[in-house]
Amino acid sequence: MKRWLIICGFAICSVTLLAVGVTQGASLYYAAGHGAACADCHEMAEYASAVHSSPHDNATCTDCHQASLFTRLRHIQVHLAGSAPETIRLREVDVRQMIANCKSCHEHEYASWRAGPHSATYTEIFADPAHISKRGLMDDCFRCHGMYFDGAIRDLVQPQNTRGPWHLSHPELAGQPTIPCQACHWIHREGPPETKPPARISVAGPIVPQSLGFFDRREGMHFAAATLAIPTLYDGPRQLKASPDQRQAICYQCHAPRLPEANSTAAANHWGPQAGSGDDRTPMGVHEGLSCFSCHNSHNESARASCATCHPEMSHCGLDVEKMDTTYANPASKHNIHWVKCTDCHQHGLPRVKCVVTVAAR
Amino acid sequence: MLTRRRFVTASAIAGAGLAAGCAARKNSAWEFLSEKDARTLTAICDQIIPADDFPSASQAGVLTYVDRQLVRHFQRFQKAYIKGLNHANLLSRKRFSLDLAEATPQQKLQIVSAIEQQNPEFFELVRSHTLQGYYGSPRHGGNREGVSWRMLGLSEPPIRGSAQYDLASGSRP
Repeated sequence: MKRWLIICGFAICSVTLLAVGVTQGASLYYAAGHGAACADCHEMAEYASAVHSSPHDNATCTDCHQASLFTRLRHIQVHLAGSAPETIRLREVDVRQMIANCKSCHEHEYASWRAGPHSATYTEIFADPAHISKRGLMDDCFRCHGMYFDGAIRDLVQPQNTRGPWHLSHPELAGQPTIPCQACHWIHREGPPETKPPARISVAGPIVPQSLGFFDRREGMHFAAATLAIPTLYDGPRQLKASPDQRQAICYQCHAPRLPEANSTAAANHWGPQAGSGDDRTPMGVHEGLSCFSCHNSHNESARASCATCHPEMSHCGLDVEKMDTTYANPASKHNIHWVKCTDCHQHGLPRVKCVVTVAAR
Repeated sequence: MLTRRRFVTASAIAGAGLAAGCAARKNSAWEFLSEKDARTLTAICDQIIPADDFPSASQAGVLTYVDRQLVRHFQRFQKAYIKGLNHANLLSRKRFSLDLAEATPQQKLQIVSAIEQQNPEFFELVRSHTLQGYYGSPRHGGNREGVSWRMLGLSEPPIRGSAQYDLASGSRP
């Protein structure tokens, strides 16, 4: 009996060591080939080929993708069994692991994203009493938060009501970001290496970066920013002037307007979607026609110091706009900076003469 | 009883077989189609949906769609494809002494028209799969980057704001 136990133990150890050795050896082989070896496998060929036409051409597969021993063995099993899915997708855990690798090259962008609301965690979004008691939990939340989560909202948060208290069914996700890099960046997208724009450019903005793409959870794939729609919006019956900056098409996927509610004035008069409805923040009034990126930093969403891009040179009245009674100076102000109009203050009409203010005078 | 010698021999044969199998599969970038089949199918599909202001069927990824499905949901059509593509090349060689993929656009159109007459079942199969690949969801391999949806003027993914109900107060803000 003892002899059999020794033989079995020896056999198990041998098989385990062999598996580990083969897998590690295979990993080295794949890493050394700059991704070419990964492309030997049918399932990966398309993805390896795509990345070699992308701005990340100089990166190897393993620079961005990590895989545990178990995952590697699973890949081999899937390959041999021919059971690969139609479209190979990253799992939520894969995406999370990649963030650290993104950071290793894009430290500034990472720090910026981490400092802003776009890095909100699962706890902040899906277990926040102030938010959920009012808005409720629904699968549609995943369109913009936790888009890589594999499951329905009931698989993530319990209880499914507006009373709470709520807890995450996956505690390991508590401090993890709900809008990872891959929510807005399509890494394998074809294109030349990207360069940073020299400064914030108002209205038109620079050429749309190739990597900018919205991850659509429903299709399980990215849609390039250049191909996404920018909605036509209205301020009452009047169609608003929209910035042609195609980058903001990404923003509109989540900061989106709604069709006029039934029984509303807009619906009764057959007006189009109204700016400011839903989660939309399209500028109206004095800021009409500006792009989101004219004021906001894309990664941390901050608009600090953005006023100086245009003011006071383009200001009608020459006042220090940063101190005006708007939500820019005071979030509690009733004058939302996105929609502030001259008539909010000049209720009896605008002054006839535009004040001439120079930069030096300011 | 399995001796150590037999075990080592069997492992070596299995390993070599596996490596040979992988190496053989590397010859084609496709999961089912051979390179020649893919070129022939490209010629047929691009006559069904040629390029204009928008990409042709093959440019939009229809072949990827067909190839992926032939080893999944369309396995039952594998024989029909092999037979049909061989027949297409046969027709082309008979008329123009060329494989279909090497023919001129006019010659390709003639051959595809002939296939429609002589082998309507295969033509209908390819036509149907071409349309599925071109207009279906990109997740299945075709309709690259939703190109046909843009052609149709569809906004995909749709822009739709979330409902802003205030469930706590029972009213909308």
